[in-house]
Amino acid sequence: MMARRAALIGGVLLAVACVERVSAPGACPSFCPSGQIQIVDTVLTSIIARDSAFRGYVTEPHAPLMLAADLPGIVDGRPIFRIKGFGPTFVLSATDTGAILGADSARLRLTVARRDTGAHNLSLRFYRLPSTIDSTTTFTDLTGPFTDSLVKTVNIDTLLALPGRKDTLTGDSVVVDTVNHVLVLNLKLDSTAGRYVGPTDSGTAAYGVRVSADSLASIALTKSTLSWQWYLRVDSAGMPVARTPALRGAAFASFVFDPPPPPPDSTLAVGGVPSARSILRVAFPRFIRDSSQIIRGTLTLVPAAPVRGAPSDSFVVEAHTVFTDVGAKSPIIVDATRTDTTVVRIGVSDTVRIEVTNLLQFWASDTTRATTLVLRAEQEAASFSLIRFYPSLAQAFRPALRITFVRRFPFGAP
Amino acid sequence: MTRATRISVLVLLGPALTGGAVVRAQDSQFGIRGPGTPGRWESVRSRSTGGAFGPFDPLSALTEAGLADVPQLTATAMQSASYRDAEIAGTITALRGTRFPLLNVAGRVHRRLAIAAGFTTYLDRSWDVTLRDSVALRGTLERYTDEVTSDGSIADLRLAAASRLSRRLAIGAGLHLLAGSTRETAERRFDDTTFHTVQQLAEVRYSGMGVSGSLLLGVAPGLSVIGWARADNRLRATVADTTSAETDLPRMAGGGMLFSPSASVRFGGSVAWRGWARAGAGAFDTWSWSAGAEIGGGRMPFRFGVRGGQLPFGPGATAPTEFAAAAGTGRAFAQGRALLDAGVERLERRGGGLTERVWTALVGLTVRP
Repeated sequence: MMARRAALIGGVLLAVACVERVSAPGACPSFCPSGQIQIVDTVLTSIIARDSAFRGYVTEPHAPLMLAADLPGIVDGRPIFRIKGFGPTFVLSATDTGAILGADSARLRLTVARRDTGAHNLSLRFYRLPSTIDSTTTFTDLTGPFTDSLVKTVNIDTLLALPGRKDTLTGDSVVVDTVNHVLVLNLKLDSTAGRYVGPTDSGTAAYGVRVSADSLASIALTKSTLSWQWYLRVDSAGMPVARTPALRGAAFASFVFDPPPPPPDSTLAVGGVPSARSILRVAFPRFIRDSSQIIRGTLTLVPAAPVRGAPSDSFVVEAHTVFTDVGAKSPIIVDATRTDTTVVRIGVSDTVRIEVTNLLQFWASDTTRATTLVLRAEQEAASFSLIRFYPSLAQAFRPALRITFVRRFPFGAP
Repeated sequence: MTRATRISVLVLLGPALTGGAVVRAQDSQFGIRGPGTPGRWESVRSRSTGGAFGPFDPLSALTEAGLADVPQLTATAMQSASYRDAEIAGTITALRGTRFPLLNVAGRVHRRLAIAAGFTTYLDRSWDVTLRDSVALRGTLERYTDEVTSDGSIADLRLAAASRLSRRLAIGAGLHLLAGSTRETAERRFDDTTFHTVQQLAEVRYSGMGVSGSLLLGVAPGLSVIGWARADNRLRATVADTTSAETDLPRMAGGGMLFSPSASVRFGGSVAWRGWARAGAGAFDTWSWSAGAEIGGGRMPFRFGVRGGQLPFGPGATAPTEFAAAAGTGRAFAQGRALLDAGVERLERRGGGLTERVWTALVGLTVRP
């Protein structure tokens, strides 16, 4: 009897057990809520002010790449690097040190991080430079050595075309890294090109590189992977012995170029070498910040001149906000979720649009933040590419913000 | 644990065990554009008679005068599950919902005075509307999907008292506190993800008050009539302590008749008017009626009834209409100290091109410890 009753109660409860499905297609306006999502799209032309540009954030010696280019009328860039030597003597063993008689040869390993695949007959020419090169060395300082001190020429296209991508006569080879999309050059310098001058220069050697091609000669060499291998001859109790010391990296790596960057003016410069950044102060309207939800924000910038740089060096312009606005040294917030970007192509002068929705939403969520935008190249000083925008002083072409936002939904209304 | 105690526990825990511990009644697409879908304030027993016994039922929240004859402390709760097909322009959408629309406790505090407290659903505001459309933005037609939802209801918390003044006359009065909340969301997803998704939500709180009164008259042996009236003030909706809307609530009045030719047969009928038109545009005054019977005075009576009338909210110039037929039964346990009522209702609503067909299963538990 109890079982029957329990079954009865259980069955009834099961019949009304929890079920929920309330989602239905809307048949508007008859059977839809009276409140609607209201979207407003507006262009705010006067909220950006007190904008300025600054240069020198990343300089040639601190850039991750060495830029080589031979683009007449645009830029002539030449990497330079210095390899520290071992001095006049070499430690043969714990009890024996011998004078370095010279080098049989040397091997240079270079990584071509970027090149224009449209460039044909791409060649590198290596020049011996004074071992005194440093961050103050200019293009003009090296005009002489880059004219009369050629030690080696390598045609990369020829090397790539050889079986096994190896030149058995010169000892040069190239590896195509399809994963990282780079070329790794392994170059042999004979005893003349890779001369070891121990007594006067402590074995320090400095070289410069020029690039050439039928056209579009522009490459970037990675500094961090540059390595140098000496094959030395050392005097061991009157007998010359061969020694292969440890690999050496570049003690100094940079590049020189001509013409120099244009002097700072009222335009908003971004990119180039040394890298330039532009700072824009935004008077973020309260009626948008406080009572709306921003769904899209676009910063529009009008270039004051066509984008300058190597044709293959399209670059990414990033828009960041700052922790605090202290002018040129404002610390930027480097956070992928609060960074907006756009790609800028060389030579074009069209209006540049950067989607800054993430930044605007960030400002709306934290009203204590400085509403300052910093524009910079994604990889600073990694290309000669430079763009200059009209500033807010240029009334007709001033920067503007186009914001699409949603007003507060009328919750609670019948 | 005594049998009655076990059943009492079941009354209180039953809805929770089945997941329906939400104070809401059966909802409708007709309520989306208005303040909500009005709830039904009847117990399972009354719902099974089409609502005809509602004015006389002390465990329904419709009137108070019927409380005067409550013999002892009595508690009831009900749960309903609705399976609703909403058809518009040839498209049918199947919807489901489980609700816990009524809890009532009544008892005698004096020889001539009985009181009751409980809640029922005043307006249900649970719906979820999805919409596909496009809008011209920045010179381009952007397609999007909207989803606007509301989840919650407004409860009618009633404190009522009734007194039998004479063998033929009983009166009652009630104070109603309207309280509730809904969690509302509005979302828009653009096909073009350059536009971020719009997501807004709010907790909307509702408050209001009302008073009611009723009079039960024994016209003749086995024949009773009842009249009732109720006036509610304004329903105030607040979002984050800011009043977002105020809706005038209706005045209501109704009456009923109960005829019991014998101890095992009862017939009833009722009619009600509700002045919802003052709630604003798109709202209508409504009339509703019901007729039903209960046959069998033993441990398992059979109940049936029909009801019809109008719905207060809908598009167009006339109020939507509804018609329902219901049937049910009950079973006494524990020497009559516990009652399990069950019913089923078939309802059809029409108006503005929308037709809703609803099957509702009803379960109620009543204990008299």
